[in-house]
Amino acid sequence: MAIQSSRTDTIRSFLAELNWGIISLTLILGMVGVASLYSVAGETIYPWSWRHLVRLVIGLLIMIAIARLSIKFIYNSAYVIYGTILAALVGVELFGNIHMGAQRWLDLGIAQFQPSEVMRIGIVLALARYYQGVYPEKISKLSFIIIPMLIIIAPSVLVLRQPDLGTTILLAITGLSVLFLAGVSLKYFLAGFATLAASFPVVWGRLQVYQKDRILTFFNPERDPLGSGYHIIQSKIGIGSGGFSGKGFGDGTQSRLNFLPEKHTDFIFTMFAEEMGFIGSLGLIGLYVGLIIAIFLVAREVKTQFSRLLVSGLAVSLFLYLFVNLAMVMGLAPVVGVPLPFVSYGGTSLITFMISLGVILCADRNANVEVGK
Amino acid sequence: MIRKKVTRQEIFNRRAVIMGAGQLGLFGLLIGRLQYLQLRKADEYAMLAEDNRVNVEFLSAPRGRIVDRQGNILARNDPSYQLILIPEQSADVKAVLRRVQNIVSISDNAIERILKRVEKNAKFVPITIADNISWDDFSRLNLESPFLPGVQTQVGEKRIYLYGEDMAHMLGYVGAVQARSTQQKGKILEGRSGLEYLFEENLQGVAGNRRVEVNAYGRIVRELEREKGKPGAQIQTTLDTNLQTLAMKSLGNQSGAAVVLDIATGGVLALASTPSYDPNQLSVGIDDRDWAKLTANEKKPLMNKAISGLYSPGSTFKMVVALAALDAGVVTKNHKFDCPGSYTFGGRKFHCWERKGHGVVDMRTALARSCDVYFYDLALRIGIDQIQKTAREFGFGEHIGLGLMGERDGVMPGRTWKEENLGRKWQPGETVLVGIGQGYILASPLQLAVMTARLASRGVKAKPHVILGDVEESPERIEINDDDMDVVLAGLNDVVNHPRGTAFRSRIWVDGKTMAGKTGTVQVRTISEAERSDRVLPNSELPWHLRDHAIFVGYAPVDNPRYAVAVLVEHGGGGSTVAAPIGNKILTAALEQEPIMASKPSTPKLQTQSNGAS
Repeated sequence: MAIQSSRTDTIRSFLAELNWGIISLTLILGMVGVASLYSVAGETIYPWSWRHLVRLVIGLLIMIAIARLSIKFIYNSAYVIYGTILAALVGVELFGNIHMGAQRWLDLGIAQFQPSEVMRIGIVLALARYYQGVYPEKISKLSFIIIPMLIIIAPSVLVLRQPDLGTTILLAITGLSVLFLAGVSLKYFLAGFATLAASFPVVWGRLQVYQKDRILTFFNPERDPLGSGYHIIQSKIGIGSGGFSGKGFGDGTQSRLNFLPEKHTDFIFTMFAEEMGFIGSLGLIGLYVGLIIAIFLVAREVKTQFSRLLVSGLAVSLFLYLFVNLAMVMGLAPVVGVPLPFVSYGGTSLITFMISLGVILCADRNANVEVGK
Repeated sequence: MIRKKVTRQEIFNRRAVIMGAGQLGLFGLLIGRLQYLQLRKADEYAMLAEDNRVNVEFLSAPRGRIVDRQGNILARNDPSYQLILIPEQSADVKAVLRRVQNIVSISDNAIERILKRVEKNAKFVPITIADNISWDDFSRLNLESPFLPGVQTQVGEKRIYLYGEDMAHMLGYVGAVQARSTQQKGKILEGRSGLEYLFEENLQGVAGNRRVEVNAYGRIVRELEREKGKPGAQIQTTLDTNLQTLAMKSLGNQSGAAVVLDIATGGVLALASTPSYDPNQLSVGIDDRDWAKLTANEKKPLMNKAISGLYSPGSTFKMVVALAALDAGVVTKNHKFDCPGSYTFGGRKFHCWERKGHGVVDMRTALARSCDVYFYDLALRIGIDQIQKTAREFGFGEHIGLGLMGERDGVMPGRTWKEENLGRKWQPGETVLVGIGQGYILASPLQLAVMTARLASRGVKAKPHVILGDVEESPERIEINDDDMDVVLAGLNDVVNHPRGTAFRSRIWVDGKTMAGKTGTVQVRTISEAERSDRVLPNSELPWHLRDHAIFVGYAPVDNPRYAVAVLVEHGGGGSTVAAPIGNKILTAALEQEPIMASKPSTPKLQTQSNGAS
């Protein structure tokens, strides 16, 4: 009886420590995904909606399980996790499945997953772990730049070779954002930007034809209205035709009649905007803004540099996915194949974001716990 | 240690604020973009989305039928059987087509063309692989359909002319719509000539349309709305099928024309032109070989000679000359003239067809025996102006206006006509020739029938028409003295019913009713004096194109004229031997079926067809 009650107390205090704001925003967004996938399939839960729901539940369990972990454990495992994912990326390079012209998938027997998606957590973990021990006096010294850069470059090169330009860029920017938040001198960023500009011709030459096409048609979609530009044009038509209040749930013609490519994955927002209109879209973006603010509030609250950078790095990563996806479907960015967090169909993406949030919840719960030296 | 920590927090906070501000800015950008797409450009994109998903398809309206004056169907629509292939439904298109070839004859070339289209089109787009296949093939294909995946039979519409060649010139024919610019979309067939062309507006009806939702691949997802078309109106012609087919049969394979008019109303009972063509063949698309045969034929099957053929009226013009003379008061009805067989004027000798001459003849006898000399003299006495004036009253040079394509107005020459057209002055010698309906004067068989009807009705100008009921309420009358008319009509009666009349052998007797008429034999060559002094070659010894045209005009019954007829046989020989017997057959038939020939129809001229398919 006494043991029983102490267990109940433990669970109760654990639940009390959880950030319910973040959890509820996440679940609402996940349910938006379930509803959108129901609509996009022609108002049926098959084939996407029910799987998304199942994944959401599994994700929720994983998220809470991770939240239960000790932050010290996460701190101590940071490099191991990073190293494991890096090894998985090498595995993809060696044994991965080729799917839609890119080699991204690793078959685990029960499920296929994309190590490149999970890598953004690995990078943030490793960088946060690294900067926990680095103080402002040294942070901008060249010798303290090399290791973080290697942490970023190693996975980026592997992902680029798959080839997946979109994820590569997102990984790199996520990593660099952690460097920025950690306080690395702005001179490096300027120098890096200059180098990037200078190396552009080299990178361009190494891109796949479809990647070049996407970038070129981004700048001029009418260049190829039936080919690569088709995605952007049809997506803009879908969003625009939704107007102020939308065509109504289940009534989006652009998606239902297949004018939208990848309507259930990367272009799910188009369908949402078409059916829910400007008002619905503002509401959805508002949910994301709320979630990102809630995460940044956690970052401000935690006491260790590790947790700060970990939480804010994951927030930046979430923001980047969101921004690039929305900009892409609205014709502001090239079509690079980035999913909309929590809504797009895709197991790896959803679970990875849920893991990120689990880590954030864990850091929040352990805001005052010291780690490392 | 503590100081350093605080610094790290401070740095982080500062950088986080910068980053947060950047993120907010980017969110602003997204919302601005959203506002641009969904609010400012919403209408434009809504239209584009609508264009994407909605296709308009036209549904052709059944074409109106054409019926004769009794309501018998002359032209209708029949189902036409087509064979359609939907490539996506057959695993092996080539094998399926080969199996189809065993049932329907499709050339290897056609198969190749079909395969090319299969390659090019989306796999669900149906391709027509055979058109107008027979009912037998159609049913066999339906039977075999389990073994022909992807092949479907389809029922379309084709135009059927029940009387084929017999009505071709009157009804015309239809063809597939060619011009993309035609105002009415969804129309498949359009009239190319005859009534089909003249009444295209009424016959075609209004095509319906349906708006369908299509997906990105063009496949129809569902029908959004359907606008029913209106079937074409039925056209009821004045034609009498019996008379028309009889006229065609009587002309046979000679090159000629026959027109029958209802004298009281002006309705066209028959409008025959031979040889003819098969409008059923032309409507489904004639091949080049057959078309070349039609156009190369010297008897011009495509030409409607009844309205487009122009001929010298010859002796059938003599009534007009006689009336002109009486009307002008130049001579009385008792005027006599001695015919020695020729007439000399201006140093030129004009011959009578009767070389031995007719002796002294009066006007009635001159008409009955068609004495040329009497009318040479008469024409000179009255002059061209008076002849022209009277001839115009009787339809020469007049636009009759049936509305059919190719109607020609002929020539009624006179002083001003010659000066305007030939730039020379009128010569009295030319008046002599006009006296017997030769020279510059040209008229169509229709105009000859109109002349006959106006004579028989004693000057009533009933408007000739082809649509039943299109009757003028109170037609104009030619002002003519009844006594004068009596003489001319008596002459025409004698032509047929007097033993010495030129058409006595073609007289008729149906329930006491008889016909009257006038023959004409028109020379198409100049006979030289040398030939004349030796022996004038008979038609049988001349090549076809040099033989005389045979003409007959007539009406019946004599006492109460109802039917006027004009018959012309190109290079047929004598009017009395070739044309008059045909006139006899036609008018006999008309009299025999008299009771059913309602002249005043109660039916409206155009009625909407309730069932267009039958």
